[in-house]
Amino acid sequence: MDMLLFGPELYFLLVALVLFCLSLKRQPHPRAVNTIAATLAGLGVLVALVCLFQRGDLFFQAYRVDLFSQIFKFALALGLFLVFMISRNLAGIEERLHPEFYLFLTTCTLGMMMLVSSVELLTIYVSLELSSYSLYILVPLRRGDDIDVEAGIKYLFIGAVSSGFMLFGLSYIFGATHSTYLVDIIPRMPQLLASPIGLVGVLLALAGFLFKLSVFPFHFWAPDVYQGGANQVVTFIATASKAAAVALVLRIAALGASAGYSFAQTLVILSIVSMTLGNLVAIIQKDLKRMLAYSSIAHAGYILMGVLAFSEAGYASAVYYALAYLIMNFTVFMVLNEVATDGRDLKIAELAGLYHRSPLLTLSLILGIFALAGVPPSIGFTGKLLLFTSAMNQGYFFLVLIGAVNGTISLYYYLKVVYAAYFLSGEGLPPIRLSWPTRLLNYGLCVSIIGFGVFPNFIVELARTAVRAVL
Amino acid sequence: MTEHLANFPYLTCMLLSPVVGLTILLFLKEERGLAIRMVALVAAGISFALSIYTFVAYDRVLGGIQFVEKYEWVKGFGITYFVGVEGMNAPLLLLTGIVIFTGVLTMWELQERVKEYFIFQLALVTGVFGVFMSYDMFFFFLFYEIAVVPMYILILIWGSTRKIYAAMKLTLYLMAGSGLIIPGILLLYSSSGLFTFDMVRLHAVQFSPWIQKLAFVMMYLGFGVLAGVWPFHTWSPVGHVAAPTAVSMLHAGVLMKLGSFAILRIAMYLCPQGFQYWAQLMALLAATGIVYGVFVGLAQTDLKYVIGYSSVSHMGIVGLGLATGTLDGLNGAVFQMFAHGVMTALFFSSVGFIYDRTHTREIHELGGFSKIMPVASAFFITAALCGAGVPGMASFWAELLVLIAAVKVFPIRGLFAIAALVIGALFALRVVQNTFFNEPNPNFIHHEDVSPFLGLPRMILIGFLIFFGLFPQVMVGLIKTSIVPFIQGM
Repeated sequence: MDMLLFGPELYFLLVALVLFCLSLKRQPHPRAVNTIAATLAGLGVLVALVCLFQRGDLFFQAYRVDLFSQIFKFALALGLFLVFMISRNLAGIEERLHPEFYLFLTTCTLGMMMLVSSVELLTIYVSLELSSYSLYILVPLRRGDDIDVEAGIKYLFIGAVSSGFMLFGLSYIFGATHSTYLVDIIPRMPQLLASPIGLVGVLLALAGFLFKLSVFPFHFWAPDVYQGGANQVVTFIATASKAAAVALVLRIAALGASAGYSFAQTLVILSIVSMTLGNLVAIIQKDLKRMLAYSSIAHAGYILMGVLAFSEAGYASAVYYALAYLIMNFTVFMVLNEVATDGRDLKIAELAGLYHRSPLLTLSLILGIFALAGVPPSIGFTGKLLLFTSAMNQGYFFLVLIGAVNGTISLYYYLKVVYAAYFLSGEGLPPIRLSWPTRLLNYGLCVSIIGFGVFPNFIVELARTAVRAVL
Repeated sequence: MTEHLANFPYLTCMLLSPVVGLTILLFLKEERGLAIRMVALVAAGISFALSIYTFVAYDRVLGGIQFVEKYEWVKGFGITYFVGVEGMNAPLLLLTGIVIFTGVLTMWELQERVKEYFIFQLALVTGVFGVFMSYDMFFFFLFYEIAVVPMYILILIWGSTRKIYAAMKLTLYLMAGSGLIIPGILLLYSSSGLFTFDMVRLHAVQFSPWIQKLAFVMMYLGFGVLAGVWPFHTWSPVGHVAAPTAVSMLHAGVLMKLGSFAILRIAMYLCPQGFQYWAQLMALLAATGIVYGVFVGLAQTDLKYVIGYSSVSHMGIVGLGLATGTLDGLNGAVFQMFAHGVMTALFFSSVGFIYDRTHTREIHELGGFSKIMPVASAFFITAALCGAGVPGMASFWAELLVLIAAVKVFPIRGLFAIAALVIGALFALRVVQNTFFNEPNPNFIHHEDVSPFLGLPRMILIGFLIFFGLFPQVMVGLIKTSIVPFIQGM
């Protein structure tokens, strides 16, 4: 029974071992490696699904398995599987390094899975670093010019600094409460938060995850890493990694829930600055990945709206939005990967003629982009409205107003993508042929973007049940 | 208000018919032009038939909300799928049915990217139907946005005259409106304490005055953008000119009514005190819009711009009717939404036909067009007469009701509006004269007149205009059944 509790993690540890063995081969066959990795990751999704309703504690209560953690584990497994699905043509990375690419993505997923279950400060930190180090290696794996090295260094430095902040914050919390267990810490928080040490501790502890989520002021890495990393790696950073970050932001922020005004106000400011800055700077971007990087900063701001509500509804809508964001952002990245077959960075204008080249990809792109922009009937719209609703329920009128205005601003640059794909003619460009798994993936994504947007009840109810354990 | 459950999901069928249609279209090949058009026509036709049915079968004696379907949708957030018909939205559902059906027929000759065109048009019309029948603010807003966003692509690809600019301007204006609407709606949602989006339940809540004032003005301005309220109308003439014919028909004919309907249905219904507070401003903006629309319209040389600005002034009449808050005023406003919708659809439909043949909409170039295409010209002239408020046409009664109410409540603004409309009528006749009764332009002599098949959609539109012009009581009596309780509830 305990095996099943630790099921997804054990499974992905095994996958990592298999991939490690594959990486020992001198001349790996890229197609075969991809097939193996994708199949294993696909099974991983099933394993995570089977373990969805597991419940229990492990490792001296440092590790909790509940619906909240299992939902995110499922999302992570799904994210990994999706990324492997679009890695068939891994042009951005040297062939010799392909097994390493799969290996480190798997260890990163493993780290994040442990992260979402950790309820003890040191376990949280160790899991976080496991996932971060994998990504530090993955970003500079890209073939070609030195832009990847720059991105890798930037990611490492900013990551290290935010880890430093976080450790500092954790040390404050430990020092004041004499415990590293969240269970012990939470009851002592209301008293502690009255003094500055508690507030500073929680805020600094959040830093590590705000970094992952690319919330202002830890957002500087996002544009460069998005542009510099290989497309598939960036896809992972932009989807699965964000979902894990949301889970942990929810967990750590819950420590500050009793702080009331001052803590929430800090998050309000971070949320407002993130979304406004992200949206305004995204407008002038020419590179699709850079634009998506800034849009991810803006979306981090939206998600914080659910966090700072500190209510069941708010947390549930943040979870819903994290899942929605995973799907819709992945859809856009998938199109990007299919269009940029040689693994280059794609300018928005290079989407020209996509309508002629592949109507199916255009449909997916439009649905993905409209979902990001919050246009109904899509998961993005429903998610955003739920976030706004829960923030408004706590009386944040101006925050919602600014969020809604930001939605309008963001539409401008999202529409530019639609404009390029639909309107600019790409004379002489060959049609894009899609393999049948990719076609299936396209249909699946389109259906889920609309389906879960129109029928959100199931996920919302699941998320509500899940977040009760966290708050 | 009493609710009567439907024995058959008429409204859901009306809503799903375009959805099913567009799903079928997704899987059809672009080459199969006729099949694509037929699917679109059948999908639109089913909705049209159902909209006629609900209009006719609505029980006026019974009153209340009929054909109600209500399902819990998202329990945790108090979202229900709640649709129904009453006196004030039955005409608008009918209007949507008319315009989409005739719109598909009007676009029968389209050659470029036909499949996608009908997909987006059906998506748009789903949104429109949804808005008119929803009693849940979440769904209302969801459908509202569905109706607005496909416009961007419709104008961008199939439009003309500065379409890139117009498409972006229109979309951003309308989305900026949404930016005001969301906080307004959510403010009511969360301050009600009920945590429900159900409008009928929210109506029972007494919101505090400042919340009503704030929420009302946000929703008024937000929806007002779509309703073409002066000074937020500037997207509308540009957008109408750029849009392809059937989209102009839908847009000026139906979409702008979404805005004014939403002001009536959400803002005034839920925030009566807020409405009292802002009524003066509403009347002022509406009257300014009427005068402004008439005079700017006079200076135009492009027929579509003339119609675009006349829409601003006619929507001003709707706004003025709403601002009075009286029985006659609201009756007239709803009637005017319907009448103007059909009339503008006819306008754009006939101009579209002329433009497709001659590739010009300049008044002086067309001069004497009735000698070349008497039937096509007759359609336009009928619409122009209706726009000028000639008795015997639906608009006459609508405008009459509104203006009577307006002069009672806001005498000066009402008189200004009347004066502007009279001058507007005179000049409308001059436009007709210059376009159709001068010397014919020799370049266009070889053009064929409207074939009976293409004339059909225009005939349908004219038929409705004249029918409700001759029997206004059919419409007014129906609208009244919901306006009377509406005013009592305010």
